[in-house]
Amino acid sequence: MEFVSPEGFRLDGRRPMEMRQIRAEIGAVANADGSVVFEMGNTKVIAAVYVQNRSQQINDQALVRCEYSMANFSTGDHMRKPKGDRQSTEISLVIRQTMEACIMTNLMPRSQIDIFVQVLQADGGTRSVCINAATLALADAGIPMCDLVTSCSAGYLNSTPLLYLNYVEDSAGGPDFTVGILPKLDKVTLLQTDAKLPIDMFENVMQLAIEGCKAVANYIREVLQENTKQLECRRGT
Amino acid sequence: MITVEKIIREERFTGPSRSAPGLDREISALSFPAQSQGMVGLSFGEQHFIQGGIAQDLRSDGRKRLTYRPISIETGVIPQANGSARVKLGATDVIASVKAELGKPSPFQPDKGKVSIYVDCSPTAAPVFEGRGGDELSAELSTALQRCLLGGKSGTGAGIDLSSLSIVEGKICWDLYIDGLVVSSDGNLLDALGAAIKAALSNTGIPKVQVAASAPSDGQPEVDISDEEFLQFDTSGVPVIVTLTKVGRHYIVDATSEEESQMSSAISVSVNRQGRICGLTKRGGAGLDPSVILDMVSVTKHVSEQLMNKLDSEISAAEACEEES
Repeated sequence: MEFVSPEGFRLDGRRPMEMRQIRAEIGAVANADGSVVFEMGNTKVIAAVYVQNRSQQINDQALVRCEYSMANFSTGDHMRKPKGDRQSTEISLVIRQTMEACIMTNLMPRSQIDIFVQVLQADGGTRSVCINAATLALADAGIPMCDLVTSCSAGYLNSTPLLYLNYVEDSAGGPDFTVGILPKLDKVTLLQTDAKLPIDMFENVMQLAIEGCKAVANYIREVLQENTKQLECRRGT
Repeated sequence: MITVEKIIREERFTGPSRSAPGLDREISALSFPAQSQGMVGLSFGEQHFIQGGIAQDLRSDGRKRLTYRPISIETGVIPQANGSARVKLGATDVIASVKAELGKPSPFQPDKGKVSIYVDCSPTAAPVFEGRGGDELSAELSTALQRCLLGGKSGTGAGIDLSSLSIVEGKICWDLYIDGLVVSSDGNLLDALGAAIKAALSNTGIPKVQVAASAPSDGQPEVDISDEEFLQFDTSGVPVIVTLTKVGRHYIVDATSEEESQMSSAISVSVNRQGRICGLTKRGGAGLDPSVILDMVSVTKHVSEQLMNKLDSEISAAEACEEES
């Protein structure tokens, strides 16, 4: 199948290196300490963060927990999956490990940070969107973090590196790179891929994903600054 | 919200026999505010304040006993679904989606389609819903909604017209899968879900189906599903659900989760446009006097008329807004 037309357009009308539309709305869940609705293209997730004070075995640092769930209506075909299947457990683990790497857990001893991610629409790259949403929700909750971890994916189809695959491109069988970076510290914290890829293309594709991560990081920073400005305005200082 | 000052005033007003140390205890309990969760931990003073407010027809958010919180409806939020809606009722936030698939009618009702309702409580709404924690509430809400909207097993008396879903009698029908998702929970989930399902159904377009005329009489007929033409689902018969929560000697509509924690029992009644009762569920442990139940049912009938009109105008506003964008 042809994923890049001779004119250089992809199935959804993007150029190979074009990002999907990003939109974030802070404060989606009233009761949560931090929450956000995060959209990248047609993929849409809600993330909520709850912080509880709980004395437990680990006394010198915070405990981070994460749960990923998919709404029944999130995919095209109808399905009712039982909770806690293998795939969601794995994604929960990936998100938790990525977030743990940037949360300064030693500053919040004896507390428990619960991150809940709910997928409303799935159209490829849910992992990345979930990580970006979790970062924003954590920032909204005021959790100390060493950097804003952001994530983006890239793929390789029709001998062309493509930024942020959608569902159709993702199910085409080519490689799908999910990369998470700490943009300020310039470190890669998450790197996953499936399917085979020519080794000389590896660097290109990864570099493309990293560029995507940086673009997301810029957007997240803007959203947070805008939100802080609004908060300041409401406070009336 | 309840301030410490108000609580102290309330304490002095209602309990003069309380000693000063008791007051101190209340204040210290307030200085660690209740965790922002679905399950609220209220101090004695807060509980008293809520109950007293309801008795005096002035609730802690300024509403009267039979006033709803502001409702906002957004339709077409899930593009993959045939119909969807998001309803916000104060801090309660739910999404409903309708998916239509071709299926085979049940042998007992060959001339009717099938509808199933399933509600999921997302852990984003409250940490207690984590893992399997939300299953019990999900099941309770799902069965209550089925009872209120789908009628009995035979399908008679259903709020949703099942015979309009039939395509070829005994062979093919539409199966409607209605999925609810609780995104944020601050009480009165059932009414909000009922409203969301009503809005999602009126947003639903079911593809037009052409049945091949030369179908063999015993085999499965061939159908052609249109991509362009959609039939609007008739929702005039879909009831609204009104929950009356009994706190003390009075009952209130649209209880917040704080008020729900003080309830003795609650009755959810689904009423259609003709003022007929389509389903009824009682929750809560405390028993109710039969005369009180009759009284509550007549109140729900009155409230449902207002809610029905409010929902209709909100739904048409949401659809106009969707068409514009």
